[in-house]
Amino acid sequence: MNNTLTTRLLTILFIFGLGIYALLPSIRYQLLSDDAKDNLSEDELAYFESKSIKQGLDLKGGIYIVLEVDLPQLINTLAKNKDKKFDQFLEELNQDYKNSSTDFFTLFEEKALEKDLKLPRYFISYGKTKDQIIEQLTLQSADSINRIIEIIQNRVDQFGVAEPTIQKQGNNRVIVELAGVQDSERARDLLQSTALLELMIVKDVESTNTIVRQIDNLAAMNIEKTNDNVDQLFDTNNSDENNLGFSSLLIAVGSDLAISTSNLSKLQNILNQDNVKQVLDATGSLFLTSNSAATLINDFGEEEEVYLLYHLIDNAELTGGVIEDAQMRLSQSGVSAGQATVQVEMNNEGSREWARITGSNINKRIAIVLDKKVHMAPVIRSQIFGGGTVIEGLDSIQEAEDIAIVLRAGSLPVPVTIQEERTVGASLGADSVSKGTYSMLVGLLIVILFIIFYYKLSGFIASFAVVWTLILLLGILALLEATLTLPGIAGLILTVGMSVDANVIIFERIKEELRNGKSVRSAIDAGYERAITTIVDANLTTGIAAAVLYQYGSGPIKGFATVLFWGIIVSMFTAIIVTRFIFDYVTSKRTIEELSI
Amino acid sequence: MKFIENTKIKFMSFKKAGFVLSGTLAVGSLFSLMLGLNLGIDFKGGTAIGLSFNEEVSIQEVRTVMQSVSVGGQEFDLSTEEIKYFGSNKDIMVKIKSQDNTPENFGQGIVNHIYTSMPTKVPEDKNMFILSLGAVSPKVGSELSGKAFWSIISALVLILFYISIRFEFKFAVGAILALVHDITITLGIFSLTGYEITLSTVAAFLTIVGYSLNDTIVILDRIRENMKSSGTVLFESTINKSINQSLSRTLITSLTTLFVIVVLLMYGGEVIRPFAFTMLVGVIVGTYSSIYIASALLATIYKSSN
Repeated sequence: MNNTLTTRLLTILFIFGLGIYALLPSIRYQLLSDDAKDNLSEDELAYFESKSIKQGLDLKGGIYIVLEVDLPQLINTLAKNKDKKFDQFLEELNQDYKNSSTDFFTLFEEKALEKDLKLPRYFISYGKTKDQIIEQLTLQSADSINRIIEIIQNRVDQFGVAEPTIQKQGNNRVIVELAGVQDSERARDLLQSTALLELMIVKDVESTNTIVRQIDNLAAMNIEKTNDNVDQLFDTNNSDENNLGFSSLLIAVGSDLAISTSNLSKLQNILNQDNVKQVLDATGSLFLTSNSAATLINDFGEEEEVYLLYHLIDNAELTGGVIEDAQMRLSQSGVSAGQATVQVEMNNEGSREWARITGSNINKRIAIVLDKKVHMAPVIRSQIFGGGTVIEGLDSIQEAEDIAIVLRAGSLPVPVTIQEERTVGASLGADSVSKGTYSMLVGLLIVILFIIFYYKLSGFIASFAVVWTLILLLGILALLEATLTLPGIAGLILTVGMSVDANVIIFERIKEELRNGKSVRSAIDAGYERAITTIVDANLTTGIAAAVLYQYGSGPIKGFATVLFWGIIVSMFTAIIVTRFIFDYVTSKRTIEELSI
Repeated sequence: MKFIENTKIKFMSFKKAGFVLSGTLAVGSLFSLMLGLNLGIDFKGGTAIGLSFNEEVSIQEVRTVMQSVSVGGQEFDLSTEEIKYFGSNKDIMVKIKSQDNTPENFGQGIVNHIYTSMPTKVPEDKNMFILSLGAVSPKVGSELSGKAFWSIISALVLILFYISIRFEFKFAVGAILALVHDITITLGIFSLTGYEITLSTVAAFLTIVGYSLNDTIVILDRIRENMKSSGTVLFESTINKSINQSLSRTLITSLTTLFVIVVLLMYGGEVIRPFAFTMLVGVIVGTYSSIYIASALLATIYKSSN
């Protein structure tokens, strides 16, 4: 064996060795039994996690959520001296923004111009000119997204997920990926809940009755108005139903009011009417429902699902900002013994306030409101010192734990909306892995059989190259700590198909040279030499497509692009360098008269 | 072993027939495209829910249950939405168009509704019931469509640029037109068959771009090589010779690629099927176009410029 052959052999062996070495942790981890996996120490687990090929959410199961700051809501919170014109502006802006991919503040500016809205009138504390105001509002939104990310990070950490990823996207979005999380409903609530805790005084029965009567009258007026319009002509049934008014929707439960689940949307419609809003604003009160439904036997002896309806003073006596700690506790005594509750501890300032509030509102009811849902509304019997309070009325221990987490982590400064969500159940993910692996093996087998059948001994060499392409590609993925996704598996299978191509181009060239009467040795040389430019040109253009995909794609697609890109590089290496070496080595040993190709 | 050797097919004699066929297919595709493409929730926004039941369910059954779904105090009639089997008769995929004023957690609400409405047929653990849940707001949908469109355009431009450098601008024009041809016809087949366009189909489109180009370049490379003897003149006979020389490679590669794609289609599972289908169509169209569009156009371009 001459020197250059030896060098080439060593280089190839070195790269093969590197590929196997990079793959070892993944293989070892795959070979561990489930029990052994459970017994791994934290360090070992961290080692395997960082060194093995990572599985994407679509294979492992989990949740991918894109949250966006509710910008219209943010603007609404920041604006002062709001009037009808502003409300209308915001409503239209909200609608436009929902369906457009234009930047929010660009739309904001356009809409303000279109509506001839004088921005300084509402945002004077943020600047005197339109540009100043928009700049300041943009800063506010950037600031809020940073705080949101911090809080969500906190919540996720306490929730206990292995390797969560939380990334900012653009100016007002955050992407959260929770691999392996099964309970999507729970995780979603945990991420999205604003966790705004408010303590509000419940209005007394008398003033509640007064306002119900007032709204009844207004609602009747509103119905008449709409009946004069088109509704009457087309939809008489519907308007008849609406005609029932406000009080007829309500059910008395003890001294509380309740509303049937089926009437919730009607209730919202009434409460959203302009003149009803005005009346509520004038009295400084609002209606909120309870957090969960209760079952009740109605007048007809049927079971009915109802929400309790509370009439509250629209000014929180105390908010979640004063919370120092929140823990899930099982209630020890009373009718609620054994039920999950959340024990809330306040800081000094909160404790003082709490003592003052409870002291001056004895025998009134105070509602504990979380994210605009009333959890309970106990009567204050005596002044409370020490800043402790308990939230009851929770469905499960899990719910209590989650509420404790979000209260500890703090409330979001602005609500967030879910813009995109992809949840993949573990069973579908596992199914994809097994089907993907199976099709890869079958595909590989068919391809190998075909090229051996077609190219005989040379086909063996090509098969060797294809198998090594796959091994090296997986090794690179492990080294790069790339994430293997389902499209990524498709990319692996495709690489199998395409890595054959380079071999085919070379073999066909060699055959051609042989047909032209060249000797085996010089046909191999000429074949490789001519095939290389073709292979490089053809593969590089595919590489361009892969690079563009990588730039554009999110999650799964990115995984595909990574595999495709490296697949091209590796298959060029195995086809041009590895197989060439084998041919050269064999022909250097002895003169071959006829090539098995 | 040889399938083909020393073929002397006069491909360019059928150039006109090729143009007519491609032209008809392309116009037909454009016409079909005007009638509409089945865009998935990735691009239109909406909710897609994959559910796994314990036993076989009928689509009608699910449809009935979906007639009145109450989420967040609002009532929805979702019985007219797309409901179909997903792999087996136990698994169902429901796709719901994005609606105005969808409540928070619409998807989960629907899952919960079906779960409680069909208690005998669902697994005990609700998390085992959900195969997948995807929700995309119309806003993100329009962003993703924009991105997909521009990614295909920018890939084409970059490739045009690369081929212009490596070959000649005339070669690049032929190659790019062949790609546009491939994408148009593949899209046309999508709109005809009503297959859904998703993010992974876009990935497949870009792979087709790469693949079809691979094929085209192998032939163009041959043409370039064979042109060296004839100077700057390009004879149809040179093109014929080049195509014939690379014919066995073209066929063997297409064949091996088709093998793996068919395996993916058969065993790859529901999630990967749209991807494999796109690739299947693309590989067939791409192989044809590298011969009849890229090379034939090159002949035409050279003829008119000389």
